[in-house]
Amino acid sequence: MADAKRPLLDPAVLAKLGTLKLRVRAVTEGVLSGLHKSPHHGQSVEFAEHKEYAPGDEIRHIDWKAYGKFDKYYVKRFEQETNLRAYLVVDASGSMGYRGDPDRLSKLEYASALAASLGYLLVRQQDAAGLVLVQGHVAGAIPPRASASHLTPVVEALEAARPQGETRLDAAVDWIIENAPRRASVVVFSDLLDPDERIVKKLAQLGRRKHEVTIFHVLDPAELEFPFDDPTLFLSMEDARQVEAHGRDVRKGYLEVLGRWLEETKRTAAEADVDYALCRTDRPLDEVLVPFLARRERSAA
Amino acid sequence: MSIGFLNPALLWGLLAAAIPLAIHLFFRRRPRPTPFPAIDFILRARRETQRRLRIRKVLLFTARTLLLAAAALAIARPRAERPGEAAAAVVEGPKATAIVLDASGSMRYRLGGRALFERARADALGALAALGPDEPATAVVCGAETPAAEPPGFDRAAVRRLLEQAEAWAGHADLTACVGAAVRALASPAAQARLGKRVVVATDLAASAWRLDVPPPVIEGPEGKILPEVTVQDAARGAPLPNLAVVGLDAEPDPAAGPRGYRVTAAVSSAGGEARKDVPLGLSAGAGPGAKTAIRAFVDLPSGGTVRKTLSYAFPQGGPAVLQVALPEDALPMDDARAVALVVPREVRALVVDGAPSPVRYRDEAYFVESALASAASPVRPKLVDADAFPGEDLSRYDVVLLLNVRSVGAKAGELERFVENGGGLFLSLGDEVDPEAYDRELGKLLPMPLHVVKTAASPADGAARAARFADVAWDHPALSIFVGEAREGLLGTRTYRYVLAKPGPKGAPATVLASFDDGAPALVEARRGRGRVLLFTSSADRDWTDWPIRTSFLPAMQRFAGFLAGGLEERREPALVVGAQRTIRLEPGERLAGLVDPGGRERGPAELERMGLREGERGGLVITPREPGLWQVKVTAQGKGERLEPRLAFAVSPDPRESDTRRLEPKELTAYFGGETHAKVEGDAQAAGAGRTIPLWSVLLVLALAAFFLEGLLIS
Repeated sequence: MADAKRPLLDPAVLAKLGTLKLRVRAVTEGVLSGLHKSPHHGQSVEFAEHKEYAPGDEIRHIDWKAYGKFDKYYVKRFEQETNLRAYLVVDASGSMGYRGDPDRLSKLEYASALAASLGYLLVRQQDAAGLVLVQGHVAGAIPPRASASHLTPVVEALEAARPQGETRLDAAVDWIIENAPRRASVVVFSDLLDPDERIVKKLAQLGRRKHEVTIFHVLDPAELEFPFDDPTLFLSMEDARQVEAHGRDVRKGYLEVLGRWLEETKRTAAEADVDYALCRTDRPLDEVLVPFLARRERSAA
Repeated sequence: MSIGFLNPALLWGLLAAAIPLAIHLFFRRRPRPTPFPAIDFILRARRETQRRLRIRKVLLFTARTLLLAAAALAIARPRAERPGEAAAAVVEGPKATAIVLDASGSMRYRLGGRALFERARADALGALAALGPDEPATAVVCGAETPAAEPPGFDRAAVRRLLEQAEAWAGHADLTACVGAAVRALASPAAQARLGKRVVVATDLAASAWRLDVPPPVIEGPEGKILPEVTVQDAARGAPLPNLAVVGLDAEPDPAAGPRGYRVTAAVSSAGGEARKDVPLGLSAGAGPGAKTAIRAFVDLPSGGTVRKTLSYAFPQGGPAVLQVALPEDALPMDDARAVALVVPREVRALVVDGAPSPVRYRDEAYFVESALASAASPVRPKLVDADAFPGEDLSRYDVVLLLNVRSVGAKAGELERFVENGGGLFLSLGDEVDPEAYDRELGKLLPMPLHVVKTAASPADGAARAARFADVAWDHPALSIFVGEAREGLLGTRTYRYVLAKPGPKGAPATVLASFDDGAPALVEARRGRGRVLLFTSSADRDWTDWPIRTSFLPAMQRFAGFLAGGLEERREPALVVGAQRTIRLEPGERLAGLVDPGGRERGPAELERMGLREGERGGLVITPREPGLWQVKVTAQGKGERLEPRLAFAVSPDPRESDTRRLEPKELTAYFGGETHAKVEGDAQAAGAGRTIPLWSVLLVLALAAFFLEGLLIS
């Protein structure tokens, strides 16, 4: 639905913008105009470990409480880090290329716009944003960095992504486990049409490793409403399967199966403390981004 | 119990039940290929709903097929027939059998797309086939010919051939007489006396074919009179036979409709059906492809009644013409139209010679005559001249000359004689200007009777009491036949004060007195001179001697006189004949019959006409017996000319109204007539015979179709 006050956040309008960069700009400007001013925390220091005092150490870092307990000088060691390290996991499988209406963004385009906008907003807040592109396997990865110049390759990688291959999000999970030893925020943009039905649980494994997981479940309205009335030959977008069915005949059954799946996904995500948001590609992007950013703001506070 | 159909031909409609299957097989829409990501869910949904969907599809297909099949079956009007117990006491052993096949006009009735005659023939052949090898048989085809039957024999092929070659004709048949003939054949010595006797009658049970007021046929045997066993096969299977028919058509001149106006009265009947409203009735003029619908009207018909519908039509020109009245075609088409051939009066050119002109119009001698002839509805076109201008007129341009109180025609007398000899008409009225003796000298050859002296019965001043009146009027004369009922008073009330007495004419010049005065003196005298006619009125044509010109009868009388003198009134057609009646075709000298075009448009040449019985009539002309109702056109060849249809000779043949009456006889009446249920039975209509029952099934089928319709709607929604 077009929003008269924020036309640039309308997917139909964004679809007409040629490049992802333009879309990101439009989205972020729209989102920022709708947000309160974000408090800038700057760099933070985090306690890492105690070390026995040695000459040359900063005297001000001596932990006097530890001296009281152990009667030895211990110096507190700190680690310098950014506010947040975020991995933007974008599913670029074949199914993400679907669009139910030629005037709409495809699911991948929508997810890319969301991911790139989020990356921009994170970097703007001194957070680091990285990208993991999944196409059956991890097709590309850009480690998180907090510099503004870092966004360019992220956007370019997203723009260059073409939907293909199977949905294999477990490859992204494995990659993050391997490459992100420290606590990070993992934001997944996918339609979750993964052959592995336990993919949400797998994503939740990241939570057990102190990562904060957010799933943006991107679906086209046609997938949610199944507006087919005539006899149709449905072709799979990830393999060679095809099925002939009369849209009117299977609609009810399809919506039932879909409803059950969405409920299951939501429930599993809630049980695993995974943040979950269902994104229809016909909804304005700020409806997705603003609540997410607001949640982050609250948790940061 | 067996299943029968009232309209078996409509069973073709059952093919409609194959429409859903045909659509499924041949008109299936090709699915549109569409990439879709969540194909797993579709597969899962299909797996889950496949069984339900398949059942739904089968139910939908069944409902649609059932809907069409039930509707088609219901239209064919099925019914379960429970055969009744044999009503007739069947004599054991072989029987000599006579089969009577009703070939009357009503058997052309089409029931369920098939003529009753065909059904009856099948019944008759079935009865023949069912005979045992020791049962002799004969057959009577009850149609146009006088019924006669051979004694029963064992030549089954001959009997079958007779039945197979029989055709239903358009006329009436007397089934009582035919059954009588069949019984006589069974009673003949050739039929073996020891055998039982049986008559099988295949008919439609039309009441008009039976005469139940005569004694039933019996067989005189050695042991006295015995009643034969009679089996009546009802070709209509108990169904009513509603029929609309034009049973009468009459066309009479209608002056109110113009000079060539006709009042057409059609009698339309409805037999064996419900009352009908707004039944279209068309009046067309002309014959063959040139016929044009002139009037479209509607009639309301009571059940089993007859109504008369009167229509007015004016022909654009005179001469031979044809009018046809037609109803929409129904199950018995032969009586849905009726034609009449007539001769429309041609325009009569009349020269009115005014012997006593006057500037005062009503005193002018010719004022009343000219006014009468020139009136709006008159076929006469008069031209008025005075006696002085008469010699200058070319008489060949006129059909009739009227000399009104003309003193003398002078040298024109010779031309006038030739004019009449060659077929012209002459009307003479007298008056003060006429000198009887001079007229006798001048026009002696033309006058119907020689004139004598003027007689004065009374003067107008004396009043009406002493005035002469018309008496002894020849009402059947063509010129006076229009005066019927009260209209005659208009003529008989005429008062005449003066008239000329006439003397008997010489022998060899016969004259006919059409009317005389009450003293016996001739008033209107007609005579033929050569090919022409002369009419003499012995009084005046104005009010000087008589008050006839101001009487209501004067105007029609003058117009009729003009028409009669011009030869138009006798150009009458014989009335339409009933089918099967003889018709005489009278050809002009030099003409030769080339053929007849029947009502169906088929030309029948001389050879075929001879086979139809064309022969020379005893009183001249060619006699033929047409067997099809409708308009027959005659094709002639004349010397130096090719073949042409001669409108003058076209004639109409009417169907027999008795055959239009398709009301059926109660089977019980018929069985009672033949001696009761011990001797007679009616087959093919168990219910009507009172011995069995027919259960209509179409209503059940309609309910089934309705249920299928609702089920289909439910499944679609």
